[in-house]
Amino acid sequence: MKLHSNPWLRTAYARLWVRAKSIYGEPLWVAINIGFPFFTSFSFTMVYRAYGLGSYAGFAILGGVMISFWGNVLWSMASQFNWDKQVGLFEIYISSPASISAILVGMSLGGILGTAPSAALVALLGWTIFHPTVNPVWPAVISVFALTLASLYALGMALSSLYLAYGREADSVNEALHEPVSLISGVYFPSTGGFSPFPLAVQAGASLIPLTLGMDALRRTLFFGQGFGEFTIDLELVALAIMGIVLLFASSKALKFLEDKGRRTGTIAVRQR
Amino acid sequence: MSLRAIAASIRVGWAREFNWTNPLAGFSLRTVGPLASVIAASAVYYVASVHNIPPSFDPSRLAYIIIGAALYTHVAAYSWVPTLAIAEGKWTYVFPQVYIAPHSSLPYLIGRTLASFASSTMTVIVSLILSFYTLSSIIGTGIPFIATPVSVGLLILAMVMNIFAAFGLGLLLSAYALFATKFEWALPTYVAGLLMIFSEALFPVSLLPHPVSDVANVLPFTEFMRASRYAMIYGDIPSYFLYLGLSAVGGLIFLGLGYAAFRYAENRARRLGVIDKKTA
Repeated sequence: MKLHSNPWLRTAYARLWVRAKSIYGEPLWVAINIGFPFFTSFSFTMVYRAYGLGSYAGFAILGGVMISFWGNVLWSMASQFNWDKQVGLFEIYISSPASISAILVGMSLGGILGTAPSAALVALLGWTIFHPTVNPVWPAVISVFALTLASLYALGMALSSLYLAYGREADSVNEALHEPVSLISGVYFPSTGGFSPFPLAVQAGASLIPLTLGMDALRRTLFFGQGFGEFTIDLELVALAIMGIVLLFASSKALKFLEDKGRRTGTIAVRQR
Repeated sequence: MSLRAIAASIRVGWAREFNWTNPLAGFSLRTVGPLASVIAASAVYYVASVHNIPPSFDPSRLAYIIIGAALYTHVAAYSWVPTLAIAEGKWTYVFPQVYIAPHSSLPYLIGRTLASFASSTMTVIVSLILSFYTLSSIIGTGIPFIATPVSVGLLILAMVMNIFAAFGLGLLLSAYALFATKFEWALPTYVAGLLMIFSEALFPVSLLPHPVSDVANVLPFTEFMRASRYAMIYGDIPSYFLYLGLSAVGGLIFLGLGYAAFRYAENRARRLGVIDKKTA
């Protein structure tokens, strides 16, 4: 199938291109974007080294890599339609024949492409400075990483439909979500399993977030040499795949519902600032 | 510079932070982030020390990290407000209006910062209390805080004295924000990340390589952290006042530098006609 003959693919490609171009067209963005993830992971790496498990300092560097993507999901996926609504772009989306799901998928792929250089730089700097001990099973690492990103961005799509219904509170909700989700997902330390400081009920609740399963599986495959065939890894891969599919379906339904409701009540393009 | 203008700006700042919802919801949403940050930093320490061979968990070190993580989020939360007030104000055409009113830009930035300082102080105190109880119950050990009216009063005094340094930093960033059409939103998080490393929030700055550790050692934010810990953990009043004094002196130097940079940038921005340049 040729790209130009399929409107859905053309739409997704166009949105991907715009997002990727906004990063690669201004390389300084990469330097700016690595700031917070790198400095945070640097601090936590120092905590690991200063107070005990220096050999697990890699947990904090991996956290810095993944927090870049989580930040991108929250700020550039979840709240994007809300911002688009404020500047009048969302009106154009819905009045054009372009598929909203194609726009979301393009936005996700563009977000991943745009965040990848910053995340890679965090990993490179962390590895160069701290030389963390790794024992990777690369096929498993790559599979887990890809599935984690897929389900994370599917979560971003679901949140984007939710945020569409909100106005100014979207920013505050984002700020409120960022740290607690990072905490219970165990971005910088294991929040599930034997190393977790949390009670079992919290661990069970945290496992419903794709980032939690992804982080746990990434730590196992990257630092502990676990791969396919290990029960926990296989289970986490299946769970991540199911979460991705469910969230994609939910986002599509939620967007359709909000779009229909917005059209009926005439509020779909109301700016709330 | 009139007190009336500052008071009006404090009201604007307060409304900007809380009027979009009811105060309780706004306050809760603003508290949950710092609380999570404090627990995350403490959890990293807990995991690192408990699983160390032999285990090296020390409750007073946990208290050190709780205080550092909470106060770091406090400083990061309000020191970027002057930059936000300019960047957002340009976008919403508020800042050019403020600027047109005579001698209003500085009172406006001071008022916005003080409003954010007040809300951030409340959220950080609630975060400290909640993280203390949460971590005590999760870890099952006492955390050696000195929570008396005197120690809490000394902590609040240290936070008030740190306004000089934080506002000075805010003015330095604002000097850039006057000209910026991009990156000004990201810059404060960059600086917040740097503060996390160089202000002794989570680990002693002596662990950093020279000469970076020497610079970090004399930053007013580092002295502020030390003073707060002497008030809340070690109970050493003479050391508290020593570090408070150093924090105040460093803060005044920071404020002087920030003020000079902002005034220079403001004059230049007016000559170049970029005060009302809309950012995108």
